[in-house]
Amino acid sequence: MNNVIRAELYKLYKNPAFWVLAAGVGALSIFMHILILTGWWHMTGTPFDLAGLDGLNGLSPFIVPLFFNLFVSTLAAYTIAAEFSRNGVIKNQVMSGNKRMHIFLAKFIVLSLGAVIIVIVIPLVTGLISAGFSSGGNLFTESGLIYLSRAYGLYFLHFLCFTATVLLIAVITGEIGKTILFTLILSAVMFAFEKLVTVSRIRFLYEHTYFFQLDVAFNQFLSAGDLLKSIFIGILSLLLLLYCGITVFQRKEIQ
Amino acid sequence: MSEYILRAKQLTKKFKNGFALQNINISVKKGEIYGLIGQNGAGKSTLLRLITGLAFPTSGSIERFGNGNPQEIAAAQKRMGAIIEHPALFPNMTAKENLEVHRLQKGIPGKEWIEKVLKLTGLYDAGEKKVKHFSLGMKQRLGIAVALLGDPEFLILDEPTNGLDPTGIVEMRELIKKLNREKGLTVFISSHILSELYQLATVFGFIHKGKLLEEMTKKQLDEKCRKHIRIKVDNPAKGAMVLDRYLSAGDFEVMPDGMIKLYRYLDDVRSVSAALTKSGLIIEHFSLSGDSLESYYTKLIGGAGNE
Repeated sequence: MNNVIRAELYKLYKNPAFWVLAAGVGALSIFMHILILTGWWHMTGTPFDLAGLDGLNGLSPFIVPLFFNLFVSTLAAYTIAAEFSRNGVIKNQVMSGNKRMHIFLAKFIVLSLGAVIIVIVIPLVTGLISAGFSSGGNLFTESGLIYLSRAYGLYFLHFLCFTATVLLIAVITGEIGKTILFTLILSAVMFAFEKLVTVSRIRFLYEHTYFFQLDVAFNQFLSAGDLLKSIFIGILSLLLLLYCGITVFQRKEIQ
Repeated sequence: MSEYILRAKQLTKKFKNGFALQNINISVKKGEIYGLIGQNGAGKSTLLRLITGLAFPTSGSIERFGNGNPQEIAAAQKRMGAIIEHPALFPNMTAKENLEVHRLQKGIPGKEWIEKVLKLTGLYDAGEKKVKHFSLGMKQRLGIAVALLGDPEFLILDEPTNGLDPTGIVEMRELIKKLNREKGLTVFISSHILSELYQLATVFGFIHKGKLLEEMTKKQLDEKCRKHIRIKVDNPAKGAMVLDRYLSAGDFEVMPDGMIKLYRYLDDVRSVSAALTKSGLIIEHFSLSGDSLESYYTKLIGGAGNE
């Protein structure tokens, strides 16, 4: 499987879409942090605000699925779906003598790495640097760092579930446009669930999805029970999504 | 070790709108160049997709390198190189970068392989030019370079001369022949251009509407297409003796059904018929026969189309 991971990393490194997204998100993130830190844009009631880290308010959009799905789906579309449709290189990969399960897992690992760099690492690093400069380091208190570690640790787990979902969509559709569209629809449906659905049973189900847990990860206070529940939901969802993805890919006929 | 590189038995592939392949039995021996001939849509690419593991048969079995276990296809794929339909390449990468991706995923140690296949396919001077700026012929060559990476034992090529200019076609043919001759590479090549395959293949398979109509060696194909006089007389043994003794026409054969095929005297049929009748033989059938490759193929698929 190492061979496929190395090949996937090489492809990601050579993919213009990855660099365009990384540069775009970097610029956008810096711009938002500057707007907030200079007082041009006021944000209140964000999870960071509630945790006393208002200097990091610029990170808020990057933890909302309806926003970050645009970057993840675009990355998946131009790295994964394009291989099925635009250039057909998936044929060479499937015929390369690697097991399909390994190919799928390598794609998941590298797509997740790319998505984490774009959606988590770049905004977080630019945010921490900007906030660090503006607050002279006051931001990095022990409680602040513990909160950030716990929140981003949990968020990372549920974010992996999201990249696994997008990868599954890319493998099923095998088309750039459809990958972006269906990911957007999924995020919009989940957003609608969160905001509109009040029926208790459906609400209960929704609260046990990783989508809801993406939000829960940034709660200021989280009991040990809730933390464990969130971790359990994340791990179970990830395993289930990877199992579905591997099964679909193993049965997929390559055109 | 099996002498067969590939054996497919009763291979069938059904899509929603009907059968793409029906009960295909095909065998490719080590060192052969197998030419699969069929019109567009005959099922060639579908068959190649099944062989390479890109798609799965509805029924039937495929044995690669003597192993028919579908779970162990990856091991066989490591020993194969293929182009299916069109070369699958990254347009934003150079030739070297494309080959690097495939080198990494195949786990081939050493970058010298890349230079080797680039030289072999005449792409060594492509430099930093990205594949999206390549001509169709260059893409085809790069596709073959990808397939040759790692020294495969079995090369599968689907319409490999598509987009190549006449010089490119000749070079490609010579390259495949050279690899077959020098390295014992087994080649499975599909095309709808019979004349092109004829110069390359040692065994031919004719496919039409998802069915394998006929399989034959080049020698058998030559025999079938050779011009001759078909003669049927009341006493074939005597007829053969007459041809041999009075006409010294050694180049003939008597078929199991008594039909005599005479490959000489094509311009002097009167002498043949005169010699036979003078010997008291009754001529039941006398005709000129033999096809060009194209007309043989057309007859073959025409007959199938009328079924």
